[in-house]
Amino acid sequence: MNKAMAQIKGLIGEGHVVDSVAEMAKFLRGNGKPLAVVFPGSTAEVSGLVKLANELNLKIAVGGQVVESKGLDGGLALVLSRMNKILEIDHANLVATVEPGILHAAFVTKMEEEGLNFPPEPFAVETGSVGGCFAIGDTDSKAFQYMPTRTYLLGYEMVLPTGEVLDIGNKCIKNVSGYDLIHFAVGSRGTLGIFTKLLIKLLPPPEVKYAVLADFASIHKASIAFTTLIKRNIHPTRLNLINATLAKNTFPATEGNLVMVDLEGFKASTELLAEEISSVFKLAGAKNIRIVTNADEYVKIWRAWLSLRGELNTQDVERILDINVGPMKMPPALKALEEITGDLAGYPGIVLEGLLGHIRMLLPTAAEKNQLAGKVNALAMSFGGNVSGVLGSRLVCEAYNDAEMWQGITSLINQIRKQFDPKGILAPGASL
Amino acid sequence: MISHNVLDQLKAIVGEKNVFADTISVSSYSYDATMLSGTAMATVFPVTTEQTVHLVKYLDSVNIPLVPRGAGTNLSGGTIPMENSVVVNFSRMTKILEIDTENFVAVVEPGLVNFDFQVELEKYGFYYPPDPASYKATTLGGNLGECSGGPRCFKYGVTRDYVLGLEVVLPDGQIIQTGGRNFRSEPGFDLTRILVGSEGTLGFITKIFLRILPKPAAKKTMLAIYNEVEDASQTVADIVAAGIVPTTLEMMDNILINTAEDATGAGLPRDAGALLIIEIDGHEVDMDAQVEIIAEICKKARVREFKIARTVAEVDQLWLARRVVIGSVARRRPSYSLQDVTVPRSMFPSAVKEIVKVRKDYNLDIGILAHAGDGNFHPLVLFDQRNKDEVERVHAVEKHICTMALALGGTVSGEHGIGLLKKHFIEMEFSATAMESFKKIKSAFDPNHRFNPGKIM
Ligand SMILES: Cc1cc2nc3c(=O)[nH]c(=O)nc-3n(C[C@H](O)[C@H](O)[C@H](O)COP(=O)(O)OP(=O)(O)OC[C@H]3O[C@@H](n4cnc5c(N)ncnc54)[C@H](O)[C@@H]3O)c2cc1C
Ligand SMILES: Cc1cc2nc3c(=O)[nH]c(=O)nc-3n(C[C@H](O)[C@H](O)[C@H](O)COP(=O)(O)OP(=O)(O)OC[C@H]3O[C@@H](n4cnc5c(N)ncnc54)[C@H](O)[C@@H]3O)c2cc1C
Repeated sequence: MNKAMAQIKGLIGEGHVVDSVAEMAKFLRGNGKPLAVVFPGSTAEVSGLVKLANELNLKIAVGGQVVESKGLDGGLALVLSRMNKILEIDHANLVATVEPGILHAAFVTKMEEEGLNFPPEPFAVETGSVGGCFAIGDTDSKAFQYMPTRTYLLGYEMVLPTGEVLDIGNKCIKNVSGYDLIHFAVGSRGTLGIFTKLLIKLLPPPEVKYAVLADFASIHKASIAFTTLIKRNIHPTRLNLINATLAKNTFPATEGNLVMVDLEGFKASTELLAEEISSVFKLAGAKNIRIVTNADEYVKIWRAWLSLRGELNTQDVERILDINVGPMKMPPALKALEEITGDLAGYPGIVLEGLLGHIRMLLPTAAEKNQLAGKVNALAMSFGGNVSGVLGSRLVCEAYNDAEMWQGITSLINQIRKQFDPKGILAPGASL
Repeated sequence: MISHNVLDQLKAIVGEKNVFADTISVSSYSYDATMLSGTAMATVFPVTTEQTVHLVKYLDSVNIPLVPRGAGTNLSGGTIPMENSVVVNFSRMTKILEIDTENFVAVVEPGLVNFDFQVELEKYGFYYPPDPASYKATTLGGNLGECSGGPRCFKYGVTRDYVLGLEVVLPDGQIIQTGGRNFRSEPGFDLTRILVGSEGTLGFITKIFLRILPKPAAKKTMLAIYNEVEDASQTVADIVAAGIVPTTLEMMDNILINTAEDATGAGLPRDAGALLIIEIDGHEVDMDAQVEIIAEICKKARVREFKIARTVAEVDQLWLARRVVIGSVARRRPSYSLQDVTVPRSMFPSAVKEIVKVRKDYNLDIGILAHAGDGNFHPLVLFDQRNKDEVERVHAVEKHICTMALALGGTVSGEHGIGLLKKHFIEMEFSATAMESFKKIKSAFDPNHRFNPGKIM
């Protein structure tokens, strides 16, 4: 044990290793008991640590600010907060090269200052890093317009589970050389390797950003209004709803459920769309419809949305159940869901992303998750959807009574993991 | 040669009319759009997933490798069979299983031709953005195999961005479904993404879930003609810098303007250095302001002629030269080799300069065609396949252009894939660790190299 610590300290310097239980707790999530929390400062140091972990058979998990400690007993928690530089901003090619530890939210702000747009929403405003953003590979509420997070990664440098450094990708949006390891790595939650540099695609900023807010007494009416917009070929940047329970905390003035629309685009069309959306909402019986054009107010609104999203993604994650159905299937799906949950407005939490057909439920307790998941998945499947993520894939296979298919997918994923990480060192807490 | 036993088994699996083993049929599937060829022992046309599974399992049991094929238009040798292999031709699995415009999803079989799909979608006011120039002939399975691009990629992205999910037959005969009907269905690893662009080496695609979009309300097509190629490059850089994301920024140089003019007589100035086709789409009310900005940028870049299409017929007129250009070179020389490299957009002018130099150094006609917005070059090398010396120079040029792209921070393949043709170049692009990682992927899917062996690596 002492020898291991000495080696670790020798690798990255004593000042960058924390091993007292009390001190470590600041950087850990969950109840795992790692040997140390370490703060490497370079790719070489990350690689050195991973090689050492292979030798000594230690598990490794990474994070930007905080590390998930599940399965990490006796292992190393790598906090990448020191590797937080923006190495290059290339305006001509609309790309940036960054280190993984930079906060996602800080990176977005920095890009805005540079007149550039990085659309993906932070997974957790306070702690989410850019490395984590791509390790999670989320599809957020802007994805209808801007596409999922995956599409913003052009290349990376990564320390593989065996310690070698993989450098892949380039500044070209069109690139089909070799297997697409670039996008494949997105969503791998640190199992395939540790990002040490990311080459990120950016967009020019929209000319204007407006928001439309509206209070709806009925979630069902709001969701029908969403489908009206879709039928009229109106696809806002975000078309979200938070139910009354969540709205009460986030936007206390709300009467009932809050609909939040984001419009990012050219001024001429955005002005027209804001008006058209307002009138659709009005016809649907909404109250307090307001078009927000003031930049400060706009920022405040979406910051509140992001904090709520972050809380649900982290503190509340064990009570979250995500389903997707076809966007136009949302109204009947919500009706059916209500038969399971009771009144949706008063439920602990319901979040809708209208263009993506995404329904997020904050369950009363974590215990209900397993119980409800199967039922809710069956419901989602009847509207052309499913529960998201790994849980969803398993449930879909179960629903088809297709153990063979589930076995096929998991054995393939395990095969890949084994190929890259023969000793099973990385990301012990991630279930794929 | 194929044994009677194998032939009978194949016929039992897919039916008599879906197996071809005579010399003529076999040689019909021995080529693709490259100069390469190879002869398989048979070509089979599965029409269902179950048949595909049976084929895979049976051929595995007799140790015969399989080469998947769509329309065979790829430009990388990706469908060239080796001896003693069986070509699995998906071009008879052409069904559209579902078009769900309300939910932006279509479900199709892999042999469906991109164009036929677009025609069907058009009826609903929808479209599928990836549109390789060869879309009239190519299958969606083939498009996924190569992760094809097309003129609209600059704004809309490439094939991989529109694939929501797949049904795939793995080399051990196992069927898996990856992804699903929405963005969020992928479990853990993004298996869909590693399969797209894998050139049939990891799995056979038997069903595809695609994202489809409503057609944009408005579109504007512009044509800008320049005396100098450099001015066209400058225009591209300035448009992007102005925050405008056109759907299309296609460039043709002087040589290609002339071959196109030979073919069409449309009245393009033969002494022009380059032309750009610029297309934007979006909301009607946003069009004029953008057109104005673009016109201004072109003017600043010393444009010689700038046209805006006012009618559908005029749009077709502006696209005419671009549409015929690849075929048009046949009037000048009997053969052509269509290259495919990408460089970062900022390196566009340097790449143009280098290609002009290569043209002189190797004494070959090379027309420059480019999806300029994304730095994707298709230099068209004109030659005569019967002239050995020229063929050798063409190969040298190919290598030179790939080396150039890498030196400028680009890639040896923007959208046509690696196949057999560029196998030797990818080691210049990737480190040993990256090559090793590719092998790990292949080993995880296909440890015994049953599917399209020898391609990519
Ligand atoms: C029991 C439990 C279950 C959970 N289940 C899930 C779940 O299913 N899905 C989910 O999204 N969250 C889940 N979480 C939440 C998760 O633990 C984190 O809270 C969440 O990932 C955000 O972390 P962060 O804000 O600290 O971001 P970050 O520190 O940015 O990390 C986000 C993710 O990316 C990985 N990561 C970070 N940096 C790198 C890098 N440089 N290279 C490679 N990987 C990197 C991390 O290991 C982590 O998985 C769960 C939490 C708990 C307690
Ligand atoms: C004149 C011309 C213009 C072109 N323009 C473009 C362009 O603008 N953009 C562009 O990207 N490409 C272009 N191409 C290249 C080519 O058309 C594309 O690569 C196309 O996608 C190939 O489709 P295909 O049906 O012909 O596939 P094939 O050539 O038959 O196959 C392509 C690859 O996919 C694999 N494959 C086929 N079906 C399956 C399946 N069901 N499962 C798994 N693997 C499979 C094959 O093994 C092969 O590796 C052009 C070609 C020509 C000749």
